[in-house]
Amino acid sequence: MIIRWVSEDGKRKWIYPIKRDIYTKGKIVKQVSKKAKVIGITKVNIPSPMHPIIPYYVLLLEDEHSNRIPKKTMREYKIGEDYEISLATTDGAVIITKIKYDVYEYLKESIELLHNYGISPEDKILIKPSIIEPAYQYQSVTTNPELLDALITYLKEKGIKDIVVAEQAMLGNDTMASAKKAGILDVCKKHEISFIDLAKSEYIEKTYDNFNFRIAREILERKVINLPVMKTNSQIVISGAMENMLRIVDEETQKKMFKNDIEKTLPKLIKVVPEFLSIGDATIGLQAQGPTLLGEPAFLNMLFLSKDPVALDAVFTEASMLKKPHYLKIADVLGVGNCDTEKIEVIGDELEAIKCPLKAAENNASAHTNMKLIDGKANPYIFNIALKMTAKLVGLLGEEVNLVIGSFITKEMLQKKSRLVAYGKDAIEQMEKLGVKAIAEIPEEMGDIEKVILLKSILQNPNKENITVADNLKSKIIGLGMKVRKKF
Amino acid sequence: MHYIKGVGMTRFGVHVKTTQELCYDAIMEALDDADMPLSEIDEIIIAKGDSANDGERQRLFQGVMSSILQDENIPIIRVTAACSGGGAALWNIINSQAKNSLVVGVDKLTSAPTKYVTDNLMMASERIYEQAEGLSFPVQNALIAQQYMIMSGATIKDFALVALKNHENAFDNPKARFYKKKITLEMIKKSPVVASPLRLFDCSISVDGAAAAIISKDKTDIEIAGSSLYVDRLPAFESEDMTSWQGTILAVKSAYNQAGITPKDVDFVELHDAFTPVELMAYEDLGFAKKGGGKKLIRNGITKINGTLPVNASGGLKAKGHPVSATGVSQIYEIVKQMRGQAEKRQLDKTRVGLVHNVGGVGSTVTVHILRHIGG
Repeated sequence: MIIRWVSEDGKRKWIYPIKRDIYTKGKIVKQVSKKAKVIGITKVNIPSPMHPIIPYYVLLLEDEHSNRIPKKTMREYKIGEDYEISLATTDGAVIITKIKYDVYEYLKESIELLHNYGISPEDKILIKPSIIEPAYQYQSVTTNPELLDALITYLKEKGIKDIVVAEQAMLGNDTMASAKKAGILDVCKKHEISFIDLAKSEYIEKTYDNFNFRIAREILERKVINLPVMKTNSQIVISGAMENMLRIVDEETQKKMFKNDIEKTLPKLIKVVPEFLSIGDATIGLQAQGPTLLGEPAFLNMLFLSKDPVALDAVFTEASMLKKPHYLKIADVLGVGNCDTEKIEVIGDELEAIKCPLKAAENNASAHTNMKLIDGKANPYIFNIALKMTAKLVGLLGEEVNLVIGSFITKEMLQKKSRLVAYGKDAIEQMEKLGVKAIAEIPEEMGDIEKVILLKSILQNPNKENITVADNLKSKIIGLGMKVRKKF
Repeated sequence: MHYIKGVGMTRFGVHVKTTQELCYDAIMEALDDADMPLSEIDEIIIAKGDSANDGERQRLFQGVMSSILQDENIPIIRVTAACSGGGAALWNIINSQAKNSLVVGVDKLTSAPTKYVTDNLMMASERIYEQAEGLSFPVQNALIAQQYMIMSGATIKDFALVALKNHENAFDNPKARFYKKKITLEMIKKSPVVASPLRLFDCSISVDGAAAAIISKDKTDIEIAGSSLYVDRLPAFESEDMTSWQGTILAVKSAYNQAGITPKDVDFVELHDAFTPVELMAYEDLGFAKKGGGKKLIRNGITKINGTLPVNASGGLKAKGHPVSATGVSQIYEIVKQMRGQAEKRQLDKTRVGLVHNVGGVGSTVTVHILRHIGG
């Protein structure tokens, strides 16, 4: 697709989405063309960090208005050939789209490339963005409000009136505060549509393979459009189309899913929900220590669309040159979707042509350089609070502390690790089972301030071999004092 | 009117010295050449790219220069305009009120691995339309070269002749990267393809280096008769005609008008041959050949050192080397050396009017300077 923003009098064209002609102060007309001819081609033999795979080709395309754009491809074209993106022919196809400044046009084109994706004015749509914690849009932890705006605009143009946006934040975070900071509530307000906090929903039980999921009613009663942010994830490699659906179930189910191995239970959850469309938001994308604010924006300018969330995640993982997450393979075996990129139909930009390594997430990093996580697939609440505790201590020097979380802890994971602190019921129980002694045990129920004070004393006291009753008492008193001070 | 008092430059190549030390050496040579002390300089304008290439992490480079020059009374301004930084810095001086100005261009490109240098140079292209589509600097120029070949009938043999000419010239330039290095037509034709149709020897060489010139309102033997700067759109594909750079056409027209001359009055040229086809295009855009006729100049030897219009007697960006921001000032250095009869083995016969053409990106920022030897 080639887009130009043309002045009303046709005298000037812009490659950027300007709103008014700076010369005449007149209106701008959008010129969109979907067909182009190849008027130039070069075969490139030198790599660069953004384009590590060689050889590749760059085409020079020209449309009927003589507008041109360069286009990277792995296929050798001939000058004079037509260049047109074909429609998907399979239900599991993945559409890859590089956005050139206009999110709406590229989203619209991408949806219309899908195979058999019908929407009608009678549809009741639920858009499920990703709003895990309070973060600004530019931090790329939450769905880009511009993409949500573009999607709602498109749906309204298709005559759909009944649209809601629904999400719940990561356990331990406030959904409404997160949605507000992310700019999602502003978009809802603009379009006069409701935002539903799925944490307060009514839940319906669905069972698969003897595992009960309590799923928000709205998810089962509406046509869902899943809008995940494409990110790295320190626990399960990536957060994408599949992971974003985790937060359609209640808190108890989420914890149970992690307790029973999230990599095995997530595919089962997808199995019990009706088919949905996923629009992977890589308008920025997150790399390194995702999926939380510890990650870094990746500036990808892309969209990934598919009715098959497994295929979408598999394509994104391969494009990012990350190792394939285990849960995608399990999902494939369960028949939830296709994780074999050789067999996935990719439409739009070519998978091979967009490959560029993202920084992978380390599974032991925390916000504090001296505090490491030993993460046995901790549930989102424990994981979230563990990161928050370490974040509170940033800037304080100390001796290395290993914070053990989650139930999938093995002896190997603890080998040669000293100064272990078990946080949460799962980790405490598992360490007891393994016969490994922690210098401190922090129960989930302990107050947030107390937890931080306790961790601080461990961090700053290298000789501490265990936590005494006096330490616990001290942290309680300080915690109480801080609460009182905060109140007044 | 502005005049040139003195020039200096380091050898273009691989240096272990820091960029400020390279600048110091070039400035010292220019001050010696002008026979004047630093204290008589009223302003310094430095062209330097970002320090991502050189690993020095010195974004406030004017402060670094103040540290090494130790004269806090001289205002120092930094200009960045990618490969046209040197020309843009000089243009700023021509438009300033200072009596004595020092223009310095510097960059180091050999410190980082090639793929990172490629990536950093790529930042001079448009992020969404070009960088995301794999348009590194050679790729941009390869697409342009192809359009130029279709339009003009020029061939890769013509490109090879440009490379050969500039390498022959650099052979006799002690400041050039390829000084005393014999490059044959066979070697050029057999060099690997970087981005078709461009081969390795069609591309200028990334080097380290600095160049300096002292510009004064006091009359000297060389006047700057014309100075112009034009900024065109960043992506070359936006131009109606990709085989001509509007920035060059407008800049040279303005410079000719200021100097009161036509292309026929130009005796020799230092032009921006970042890639060999770009030199052929520049012949046409600068008015030395009609559209599509650039190839004739190279085929007939007109632009060789012994031709009627010698181009890039220094070896050009191609073989002298291209330390990005230093290039534009080093072109001035060559013109001055030629005009003063100090070019040794590559000395030209006719050197009264010299033209300097410096380009940033693919025709996005263009400066043209016309220097006239007025004797004395």
